[in-house]
Amino acid sequence: MAPLEKSDLLQGTLDLLILKIVALAPVHGYGISQRIRQISADVLQVQQGSLYPALHRLEKRGWLEAGWGESENGRLAKFYRLSAKGRKQLAAEEQNWNRLSNAVAQILQTVQ
Amino acid sequence: MGWSPHFRRKRDPGRAHEAALEREIEFHIEELTQANIAQGMTPEEARRWAVVEFGGREQVKQTVREVHVSAFFEALRSNLRAAARFLRKSPTFSLTVILTLALGIGANSAVFSAIDAVVLRPLPFPKGDELIAIYQHDSKGRDANRFVAPTRLEEWNRLNSTFQGISGYYTDDLSEISGPLPEKVTEALVAPRFLQVLGISPELGRDFVPEEERFGGPDAVLISYGFWQRRFHGDPAALGKKLHVEKSSFSIVGIMPASFVFPSRDIDLFAPSPIDAPYAQRRDETWFTVIGRLKPGVTVKQALADLSTVQSQLGKQFPKPDAELTVETLPLKEVIVGGIRNSLWLLYGSVTLLLLIACLNIAALMLARMADREHEISIRFSLGASRSAIMAQLLTEVFVLALAGSLVGLAAAAGAAHGFHLLAKTLPRAEEIELNWRVATYSLLSAVLTTLVCGLFPALRGTRRGLARSLAQGGRTQVSTRNPVQWLLVGVQVALAVTLLVGAGLLLRSFQELGRVFAGFDPSHVLTLQISGSWGETTDMKAVVQRVDRTLDGLRSLPGVEAASTAAMLPGVSALYQVEFKIDGKMNTDRKILADSRYVSAGYFDAMRIPVLRGETCRQGSATSDVVVNRSFANLYLNDTPAIGHALAAAAYNDFQPNGQIRGIVGDAREEGLNMPPVPTVYSCFSAPTPFPNYLIRTQGDPLQMAESVRRRIHELEPGRSVYAIMPLQQHLADAFSENRLRTILLTLFATTAVSLACIGLYGTLSYLGRLRQREVGVRLALGALRSQIAAGFVFQGLRVAAIGCAAGLAMGLGLSHFLASMLYGVSALDPITYAGVVLLILLVAALASLAPAVRVAWVDPNRILREE
Repeated sequence: MAPLEKSDLLQGTLDLLILKIVALAPVHGYGISQRIRQISADVLQVQQGSLYPALHRLEKRGWLEAGWGESENGRLAKFYRLSAKGRKQLAAEEQNWNRLSNAVAQILQTVQ
Repeated sequence: MGWSPHFRRKRDPGRAHEAALEREIEFHIEELTQANIAQGMTPEEARRWAVVEFGGREQVKQTVREVHVSAFFEALRSNLRAAARFLRKSPTFSLTVILTLALGIGANSAVFSAIDAVVLRPLPFPKGDELIAIYQHDSKGRDANRFVAPTRLEEWNRLNSTFQGISGYYTDDLSEISGPLPEKVTEALVAPRFLQVLGISPELGRDFVPEEERFGGPDAVLISYGFWQRRFHGDPAALGKKLHVEKSSFSIVGIMPASFVFPSRDIDLFAPSPIDAPYAQRRDETWFTVIGRLKPGVTVKQALADLSTVQSQLGKQFPKPDAELTVETLPLKEVIVGGIRNSLWLLYGSVTLLLLIACLNIAALMLARMADREHEISIRFSLGASRSAIMAQLLTEVFVLALAGSLVGLAAAAGAAHGFHLLAKTLPRAEEIELNWRVATYSLLSAVLTTLVCGLFPALRGTRRGLARSLAQGGRTQVSTRNPVQWLLVGVQVALAVTLLVGAGLLLRSFQELGRVFAGFDPSHVLTLQISGSWGETTDMKAVVQRVDRTLDGLRSLPGVEAASTAAMLPGVSALYQVEFKIDGKMNTDRKILADSRYVSAGYFDAMRIPVLRGETCRQGSATSDVVVNRSFANLYLNDTPAIGHALAAAAYNDFQPNGQIRGIVGDAREEGLNMPPVPTVYSCFSAPTPFPNYLIRTQGDPLQMAESVRRRIHELEPGRSVYAIMPLQQHLADAFSENRLRTILLTLFATTAVSLACIGLYGTLSYLGRLRQREVGVRLALGALRSQIAAGFVFQGLRVAAIGCAAGLAMGLGLSHFLASMLYGVSALDPITYAGVVLLILLVAALASLAPAVRVAWVDPNRILREE
């Protein structure tokens, strides 16, 4: 399957994906883009033009906290970590998403 | 969205932020490169692909930047939009606030523009703070003359180690005779290095060359910009032209810039005063006002110590007269603006109090409105807005008003700058006052501060969480009717207004006293003028005296002229030239015989109507050794002996003070200024103490109507000389107090405005409280209370606050009045009449301001009120 174009990602979905990935462990921007690709088996490819503004926006809303640390190969990188506020937000958004996707799946199954 | 607190906290200073973003992106690209290398690409290829894969780097950065700014601006924009909407809905309120602030900020900015240009900014010379004025001082106090001999100026310049250069100047009023009529020109005669010391070069042409500064060298002048415009209409061909001044002609070698108005804006010509001239070699000459430019980093104190050492060396070398001379220094700026500084700060303090009153007034108004907006605010709270967001919204409303006010005020300040220029005679450096970015910034800053003073408190009160509860209570609001904060604001306004009123009252009373003074001479029906002459004429003093006496005779024979005389200094115009005398060759050991020394011609006491008490006065043509003393002198120094016949001479040798014999005693007159009591005075009979003495002509009718025939007569007598400064003596006296008058008028204006504002505050607050208590009044009326009683209660409430404010204001006025003490005449800073008057006035206007709202609330219809409930 060909990777989805950027515009195909639902508004707000990127935020949810970022929050989810950051929730696992503190990670830098490059790591996030790699993980989204790996986990979605190359279906989702995040453009850096969306990733970094999104990261800064989430940080500014207080959902992410950022700090400088050493990367896996010993270089200085900016790491993002989920804040307490972000954790709540993630839970709420996950719930929303599940409700939405269930509803959409329901419709797809029912109307055949 | 509001000014979210985490935005302010997390926002890095721009540059650090930018660098961090750059590092973050670089890291990403590096990682991509490493991954590509791991897949087998060469490092260069890997890097190139990584950059391509990352995509538009600048674009990413720009989008991230937008994330950071947009939040702030979006909040600001929406706040501004909401503010505009709100203010449009209440135009009367908005207009009131804007006009009040325009007045407050405008007056404040206008006075600031004057303070900034006159007091704060350095003089308009390069490194103007290095310039200082230097005087000599007779340590025995026998001679008040502080001007310096040419030889000493040169020695100071040569021997010091703290100055880049020392120069000096004096002025002459001459006649330029190239035109059809002689024209009076004022010439500054300058020592070498004059322009170098000031750091100014001519706008066109050149400075003097050394030959021109030498005695007998080519005659050269520089002309001022004003003279260039007046005489040559700004034609550059003026360079090289000849000017015919008195008996010599001068080539114009340079034209000064328009901004150069030193030593005064009246100067037309600058000419070198040759230091090596044979007549310039005496050490007791008193010619130059000396200016010097300090070396960088040298303080005025160090310079004074240095010059004092130089002078004490000169004292050893030339004991007479140098041993008795000491040096005094003063920053040049102090010389120019020192006299006006206190007045300006007084005005600035007053307008600042005025602005504060305006702010408190508006704060009270906002507070009252805040109660009306409780409902709106509680809705916003319940919709989840944060307190800071709501406060930002409220403050934005005030800021929009303050900004509008400050713009209108700035326009007013621009007008005021023009007004200041008209005061050039009173206000030094007036031409430098302008509307510039400093004034604009100041005005904007005032708007910000005003916003905080006016808006912060109401916004804090209005958004107290407790108010949110009022949503549950529906439309019926319950505000404490005691409202101590409202009353506090009104009380402070009254107090500040009273402070201003006390100051204005004292100045007014002092001005009134000045008008009542008995001068001792009669300034009405006296025409004054001067006729050009040059210091060069003083080589033949006999000829000068003959010329002046001839002119006086010619004037006396004019029909309509009752008396004519000359005097070195005009009577009643502030000037004191104190000299120590000896009587019959003896100095007084226990008390110095100090007296004001004045030079007058025959006919002076007739022209001034100063009564002759004993003996006779100056006679024309008599030897110059006659003197006349006033009653104070006779009483103080010659109490036990008949005064007439004593010999009087200056205690120290003094060129200008010949030995004389007392011929008569005259009444005391306020010669030294109407605001100064008469001092012991010695009049020396000398019709030409300078080549251009003041002529005083007593006329039968209006002195100005005689001006033309007087001018024509002088032209017949002295065709080569110009007549200038023709004006009635009373005009001189009025001009001498123009600063005083201006200060009084302005302060009175500010105080009146302040009282009006405080009254509006009182009126507004009472009206508002009346509205809140309508229901209570209705119930009381229904229960049979008397309307007059209710009204009296309200008036009493207003008066009580006014009285407390008044007491506080009087205390402040008392505390501050000593600043005024030096500006007062004839009244004490604690003048009881002023204070009583202020109290009466305030209580009266407070009662009037309270009456209207009190009557309005007491005369409501109880039926209507109770039905509405």
